[in-house]
Formats: sequence, C-alpha cells, structure tokens
Amino acid sequence: MSTTTTYDQLVDILVTRFEVSREDISPDVTFEALEMDSLFLVELLLVIQSEMGVTISEDSASPSDTVGQAAKLIDAATAAAGS
Amino acid sequence: MTRAAVLAGVGSFLPPRRVTNDDLAASMDTSDTWIRTRTGIRQRFFASEGMATSDLAVEAGAQALKSAGETSADAVVVATMTPDRPCPGTAPTVATRLGLGGVMAFDINAVCTGFVYGLATAQGLISAGTADRVLLIGAETHSSVLNPDDRSTSVIFGDGAGAVLLRAGGGDELGALGPTVLGSDGEGADLITVRAGGSRQRLSGTAPDPADHYFAMQGKAVFWHAVTRMAESCRAVLERAGRRLDEVDRLVSHQANLRIINHLADELGVPRDRALVNIDRVGNTGAASIPIALAEADAEGVLRAGEHVLLTAFGGGLTWGSTVLTWPGLQRT
Repeated sequence: MSTTTTYDQLVDILVTRFEVSREDISPDVTFEALEMDSLFLVELLLVIQSEMGVTISEDSASPSDTVGQAAKLIDAATAAAGS
Repeated sequence: MTRAAVLAGVGSFLPPRRVTNDDLAASMDTSDTWIRTRTGIRQRFFASEGMATSDLAVEAGAQALKSAGETSADAVVVATMTPDRPCPGTAPTVATRLGLGGVMAFDINAVCTGFVYGLATAQGLISAGTADRVLLIGAETHSSVLNPDDRSTSVIFGDGAGAVLLRAGGGDELGALGPTVLGSDGEGADLITVRAGGSRQRLSGTAPDPADHYFAMQGKAVFWHAVTRMAESCRAVLERAGRRLDEVDRLVSHQANLRIINHLADELGVPRDRALVNIDRVGNTGAASIPIALAEADAEGVLRAGEHVLLTAFGGGLTWGSTVLTWPGLQRT
C-alpha cells in the first residue's frame, strides 16, 4: 500500500468520522492544529484498526504528530504485520 | 425447568445539587466547551454535605420496588465503588432502611461494570432458588473521591443511584435476562484506581500521598480498552443468545463518555440513535449509570415493551460484561 493511498484513506476517515473539514487537512498539519486531543487520537487508531485492519498501540501517536506522519505509521504497521 | 430472572421494576435517584460545566469552570481550569466537546457532558449531580451512597441507594431502591408493585424483596445487592465506608458493606444498611431488615444483603465492587456483574449475581440467586425477588441497586457518590486538582476526571463523574427489581419467572417472559458474558483483566488494575485506603497502602509502611485518596484514571488507555472490551463482549453475548446485531433495538452501554458510546455503536454497526444517552444530563455515574439510563428511558417512553435491549459495561479492574433482555411493560410510578 503506497503512502498516498493510506494518506487518502486517513483523510477520508478524518472527514467522515471526525467531522474535520477536508480543506483544513494537509500532510504537514498536526492533529493538535485540527483540534484533536489525545483521546481523539485513540479513537482514530480504533477506527483505523476496524476499517483498515491495522493495529497500532494507543501510545504510539501523539497530537503533535502530523497527518503525514500518521499515514507513515499505518504503512509501517501494515508492513510489519505482513512480514 | 430453570428459573429465569425477570426484570419487574426500575427506579433512579439523583441528588438535588445540580452542577453545570460553568460551575466547575469557576473553580478549575476548564470550560463548558472543553467539557462538552471531549465528553458530551453538560451537567452532573453531586450529593449534598452529609449524604452518602446508601442515602441515594435507598431512594432508587424504593422506587424500583414501587415500580414492580412489590413491598419487599428477599435479597438486596448494592453495586458500588464508593461505599459508605470500607467495612461493613453498604447493602445491609440499605436493606434495613427499606424495611427489609433480615434479608441477605451484600455489596459488589466491579467499579463501573458493577451493575452488569450484579445482574449475573441476581440471576444466579434466582435460578438457584436462593431468592425469588432480588433488589439490585447501583449507587455512587463519586464526588467523595474526585480530585479537585485533576480536571480530566473531575468533569466526568457524577453521583446517583439506579435500581432494578428482578423476580423469578420463565425464560420466555418479557423482561427475562438472557445469557451474561463477564470478564476481567488485572493487568490493567492501575488504569482506574483509588490507591489509598486498602491493605496494600496501609501495610506499605509509608504514608500515602494525599492524591492517592482520590480517584485516578488513565483516560487514553481506558478509552481503548473500553471500546474494545465492550464490543467483544457484546458480540459474544449476542452469539450466545442467538441474536444478531441488527436485531438490537436499544444499545444501553455504561455512560462513560459520549465519544465512547458513539464509537462503540459505530464499531458494532448499530445506528447511533439506538444507543441510549443520558450522560449529557447526569455525567458518568459508575455502577449506577445503566439502571439510571433504563429508568429514565422507561419513564420517558423511549424504551418500549418488546424491544431487544443490549446492555454492556466496562470499568476498573479491569472488568467488563454484557447481557441481553427483551424490555417488559412496566407500571409507571
């Protein structure tokens, strides 16, 4: 799975499940800037787990991470699970 | 034939002191917007000075008895993590004050899962023939253990009590409790805790940190476990009951946080409008949250006879559990 695809999926989840405006999201924007706190991050990781089938522990992402970094984290977890 | 436990009455009681988010913001670094967007809570009720858990439990218990058209019960079970005192249990006091002195009475501490554990306990007492009518009360005075310096927990919890009267009956009756799935994981014991006051701290040889007398919770990990464990146990109990998720008319989860309730509904694929929500008005009332939600929804006509209801809870321990029933037609009190 390429980073672009994962990033797009992540953006879709943020828009449809977390009511974030699509125009506010870019790879360099942090979750903090999207007003998503640490609990929202946990919720996001739970959605990623059920919708993308990737398990990421709840303490591996923080609100100061960017959306792009989270997409890379998902890719890394996907690769680790597949290896 | 095995005797089933049939729900015959509900009751609830909230103490009179209503505390809004603005009231909390006057004494701690928080705001109405911060609390509402993160928890879904607008207000909660706190016990007045001089009140204790048993005072709330008696009111809710009396209402459940009246709702069931009963004046007595053979057992009183109180689920609470905030008992009147560490010893003895709160239930004997509650039973005596309800005029039920002499009947078996004991407490259950499964924290926020206490009510669901209590349902399984009542079911066991009834099916074994030990009791014909069990009064199960979930009651909490969280305000007695909230840390005023911890805004993450102080804004979430409220006080209150909810009760149900379960009677012996047939498994095919409306209101008959179905199978119950319960679980626990002591690895997570430190995630939701009041550290001081028990043997571990008292025999440690060192005085407790003052903060250890207060309730503490690791919100992120709890959120994760709550959603995961409740979803798993909901699926397990439905499978055991031979019911499908799309047959669930009402999802009644422990009112932990609106985001947990919504996320659980999404995770299960149950439309959010089928989830009962009263956390906005009462906060997280621990073991009392499910019976308060049931009593309010029944009184408002939201819960109707014949609806398939799925109950699920998660709490400190860690503990979790789920059960199902078909809602009975109850007398309005």
